[in-house]
Amino acid sequence: MRFSLRSVSHCGCRVGTLSCTRAVNDGENKEVETPLCTLYTKKVDMLKRIEKLPPIVNMHLSSLADYTEALNKFQHGVGQFTALQDFLVYISVHDTGIEIPSGYNTKAGTAVWNKAGKKLIEPQQFVKCQEAFRPTFYQALSDSDTDKNSGKKRAMKAVDRTLDFLDTILELHKKSERLRDVGVFGSVEGGFHEEARMRSARETAARNVDGFVIEGFYAQNEKNKQIDVEEIKDLCNKVFKILPEEKPRLMHAVWSPDQVVMALELGIDVFDSCYPWLVTERGGALVFSFQYHNNSENEREARSTDGFEISLKDKSMFEDFGAPVPGCSCYTCQNFTRSYIHHLLNTSELLAPVLLMIHNFHHYFEFFESLRSSLKTDQFLKLKTLILEQRPSQEPPK
Amino acid sequence: MAMQRTHALSFKILAECSTTKARASLMKLPHATVDTPVFMPVGTQGTLKGLVPDQLRELDCRIILGNTYHLGHRPGPELLEKAGGLHEFMQWDRALLTDSGGFQMVSLLKLAEITEEGVKFQSPHDSSEMMLTPEHSIHIQNKIGADIIMQLDDVVHSCVTGPRVEEAMYRTIRWLDRCMKAHGRPHDQNLFPIVQGGLYPELRKKCAEELTKRDVPGFAIGGLSGGESKDEFWKIVNISTDYLPKEKPRYLMGVGFAVDLVVCVALGCDMFDCVFPTRTARFGNALTPTGTLILHRPEFAEDFQPIEKGCPCSTCKNYTRAYLHGIVENEPVSCSLLTIHNVAYQLRLMRAMHQSIVEDAFPEFIQDFFDKLYPSADYPQWAIDALASVNVHLKKS
Repeated sequence: MRFSLRSVSHCGCRVGTLSCTRAVNDGENKEVETPLCTLYTKKVDMLKRIEKLPPIVNMHLSSLADYTEALNKFQHGVGQFTALQDFLVYISVHDTGIEIPSGYNTKAGTAVWNKAGKKLIEPQQFVKCQEAFRPTFYQALSDSDTDKNSGKKRAMKAVDRTLDFLDTILELHKKSERLRDVGVFGSVEGGFHEEARMRSARETAARNVDGFVIEGFYAQNEKNKQIDVEEIKDLCNKVFKILPEEKPRLMHAVWSPDQVVMALELGIDVFDSCYPWLVTERGGALVFSFQYHNNSENEREARSTDGFEISLKDKSMFEDFGAPVPGCSCYTCQNFTRSYIHHLLNTSELLAPVLLMIHNFHHYFEFFESLRSSLKTDQFLKLKTLILEQRPSQEPPK
Repeated sequence: MAMQRTHALSFKILAECSTTKARASLMKLPHATVDTPVFMPVGTQGTLKGLVPDQLRELDCRIILGNTYHLGHRPGPELLEKAGGLHEFMQWDRALLTDSGGFQMVSLLKLAEITEEGVKFQSPHDSSEMMLTPEHSIHIQNKIGADIIMQLDDVVHSCVTGPRVEEAMYRTIRWLDRCMKAHGRPHDQNLFPIVQGGLYPELRKKCAEELTKRDVPGFAIGGLSGGESKDEFWKIVNISTDYLPKEKPRYLMGVGFAVDLVVCVALGCDMFDCVFPTRTARFGNALTPTGTLILHRPEFAEDFQPIEKGCPCSTCKNYTRAYLHGIVENEPVSCSLLTIHNVAYQLRLMRAMHQSIVEDAFPEFIQDFFDKLYPSADYPQWAIDALASVNVHLKKS
């Protein structure tokens, strides 16, 4: 797996190309433009109704660990198993969209969580899992259970454990035939402690990894908690000065559009897309504009929404026969009305999240398209201004 | 005598089985042409459990059901009228059938009381007393706009005995006349009466005869598929079809399982509906010609076959049993994958029956169907008896 940094704009945004060899079956080489978001999949069959899907799907060790045996027997990897064989597969440790209880990681391994409960994964087992999963690349097992309130000792522990796991994993990875073309990302930890962060960055950069996951700022024990790039800016800047610039940086978070544009300036290359799913879960539809060409005074006035989304649960939607988001070309907005989706939400029908998901992902992926095109045409600051203008005056409902 | 009306339905029998009472026909409705025998999946609240209309079209589903009780409550008839009818609201451009709302009312609401006027019940929202009359049911159904609508009937549980059954039967006839009078859209909505009479052959016969005197486009057989024994069930179905006119469709309400469908087609029924295939999908069960797969069972964890080899549905084309085993208990949206397959299974079964009747090979189809489902030939006795009554004798191969 290779990353080539094409350019860095004056505001700090990076534009690059990720070149991945699909390990399974065809060994085909696929080139992917960054910045990008990965696909957060909720295992529905409706993906084909979303245009312009990201080429990389983000699966999670937490939900796959129980299928290691079955996937081993299956032999063809998790992409084919889930009918996503056309995608590049990235496997992260945790699922960003769920809450994870704190305090269960040990020196021996990290606790992952799914509906069945907790599973402690050690590095050796971790590698066996990846051999069964056969992804395009994976995040090495890490301890990211730190946040603003963590003490320095805890932060250092996370750094040391993560490095320890990484070394074991890299050793086993090297010897594994099945993981030959598979990429490994090392995780930079350290909570909010500068010393811990710097150590993590230096040491991780010294290992032979294909990219970096920046984490350990939010312990993920509060669902929907949005990242605040302002808070982590200084530390990240220091970290990025140490990390080699020709390797990609990935960060997991609930990436609302304003945080995305700020994180781009920080130098993040790969984001995840659990944000549109969380919006879907609360009955919301993304409406924010990313048409930076058209941000005139009139356009600004015409925008009546406060924030990035509208709620289809709102009573005003009951008799509204307009499209969920007027002008949107997605399958949902082209075919169904606000009134119908409101009815589906009201009656707790399964079709509600399906239809909203199609819209929200469509919208979010188009947003990332516009980010890339704005960077290519040096219009990023226009887009950034537009996005920041639309920030909500209060937090969205949980 | 009732006035002759032009109906919004035409029913053409393409072939009649030379052995049983089965027919293969073409039913033209305002929104679609439907091959019968047909199974109608139930989309209770204006949606089929996670599926978009496109997916139903892909399965070549031509007609689905909506429940008047649920839709009349949410989003309500006024909203549906404003939306241009249920077709427009849910973006389903093929045929719809709605029931009267009576059955759900009686089964779901504790304080339902039936009077000559209608069904009295307590509103589930504010406990105020409400009344569903035949006229009211028809008006709601007129606003929903389905191709086929059902009369409000006085339905008694199939295990009830005594004079209540006869009372309900006669009241059903009187309510039919009230429904017909109140029907505001006979030119584009077909009102079906419902044969009642419990498990009493004489009452069923009387009811069928009376309903036949009215100028209606088709008939439904109701009050079955409750708690009655299968033995009584098939006999009543058989009598009902004996006394209903041949040239109009017969809709057996609330049926059902594959075995029931095959037998009742042999007994002369054309249309069926049941929540079973979609409901069982939500419990993680897949229907196949050789039986039901209870997918959460550990035996499927490493089973890399599709649910049914040869099934053309998108679930079988893309996913294995092992994958479905993994997600059925974890992801609610995964149920829609099973719903697609189960609906596909039911529709393919009906299509196969239609075809075999057209080829006059229905008895062979029946034998083959039972062989697959009961490889040790332990056919249910009631099915053996029912089929024997229409000249099909299941063989132990």
